[in-house]
Amino acid sequence: MHHLITLMQKLITTHIWQFLRLNRRAFTAYSILLLILSLTGCSTHVSRVSIPIKVQSEIDIDTYSKFAVLPFVSEEHSSKLGELPVEIGDDIGEILRSRLARQEKFEIVDKQETKRLMTGEEINEEWLEDTEHLSELGKYFEVKGIIVGSYRFISDTQPRRYYGERYSTRHQRYIMDYHDYLQKSYLLSLRVMIIDIDTQDIIWDQVYHQKTAEAHTLGSFVFSQMAPQERTLKELSKRAIANFVREITPHYEEEDRFLIR
Amino acid sequence: MSNLYRFLHLTVVIFVFIIVGCASRDSTGINAYNQFAIKAAEAGLWNEAIYRWNQVITIDPNNAAAHNNLGVGYEAQGKINDAVASYERATELDPDSKYYRINYRRCRLHIRRSGSETTESVDEPNSE
Repeated sequence: MHHLITLMQKLITTHIWQFLRLNRRAFTAYSILLLILSLTGCSTHVSRVSIPIKVQSEIDIDTYSKFAVLPFVSEEHSSKLGELPVEIGDDIGEILRSRLARQEKFEIVDKQETKRLMTGEEINEEWLEDTEHLSELGKYFEVKGIIVGSYRFISDTQPRRYYGERYSTRHQRYIMDYHDYLQKSYLLSLRVMIIDIDTQDIIWDQVYHQKTAEAHTLGSFVFSQMAPQERTLKELSKRAIANFVREITPHYEEEDRFLIR
Repeated sequence: MSNLYRFLHLTVVIFVFIIVGCASRDSTGINAYNQFAIKAAEAGLWNEAIYRWNQVITIDPNNAAAHNNLGVGYEAQGKINDAVASYERATELDPDSKYYRINYRRCRLHIRRSGSETTESVDEPNSE
């Protein structure tokens, strides 16, 4: 029995060896298989997970917890669109007010109160530099910080070419084709400042840029020039304000960590 | 024929290494606990995952991977001091692992950014 098994083993191994020696491809495949088995059997697996990480506010929210938000001012000679609605500065202020009011850490002076205390005041770009005046105003509001800012809205139109493929019945195959169109881009630069009422210091001064673009044919471009831009500007303002609010409020961000299997 | 035997011997040795290597990894159920914990962590069930990794550490206190994973679990729950202790232990046990070092470095970076060097976060970021 033992001899029989030994004989069979020799026979099989001789055949395998003959096969591998004659067939180099099989030999290579066999080696790769062994390598894969070794790697999969004994290698370390790593799994990547996202964990929530608490990010603190970039300002001292214990000190600056009550704010008054003033209407934003349009930067002079900056608008290429011309017909911007005058009241958009109020709208930006209102968007910011409502966003901050949603945060439990902040107390915000409401719209009516702001309007009442701002009666007779003419807001312009020079205000942003006059921290003394803003500080005085803040004392009326009984707040620790006053939020002011300016905005610049630019639109730009450039001719663009889109390359694609279309089926040509004449050539009986797909051919390269292109379409010309007009790309209308909108850019909003929103400057947000926080003034400390007690020290008259500027504790926050950041510019937030937001951009969007739309594709037009010549016909739709003409209509877009006549259409009101207020909605686009508001949408871009919302995005810029969201970035600002995120930076000054504690929030969670996702961050990767490695788990070892 | 000598080549044939050399080749066969080599094959047998490699297979023995694979089998012994893989079998010895889970002699005490550690691997099963760890796999389960990772699945729980991926599903956001951090309490369950931490419980399992603690079990692994009870069985094998020198398991660097379990200490590292436990650190991730604690960090996900906002228990930063515990996370730092676990990462430190993992890097002590296996100083050559780049993954332990990355986790530890990121945790320390987060502490510096948030300024919570000594304070323990009490509120849980996600509920299970």
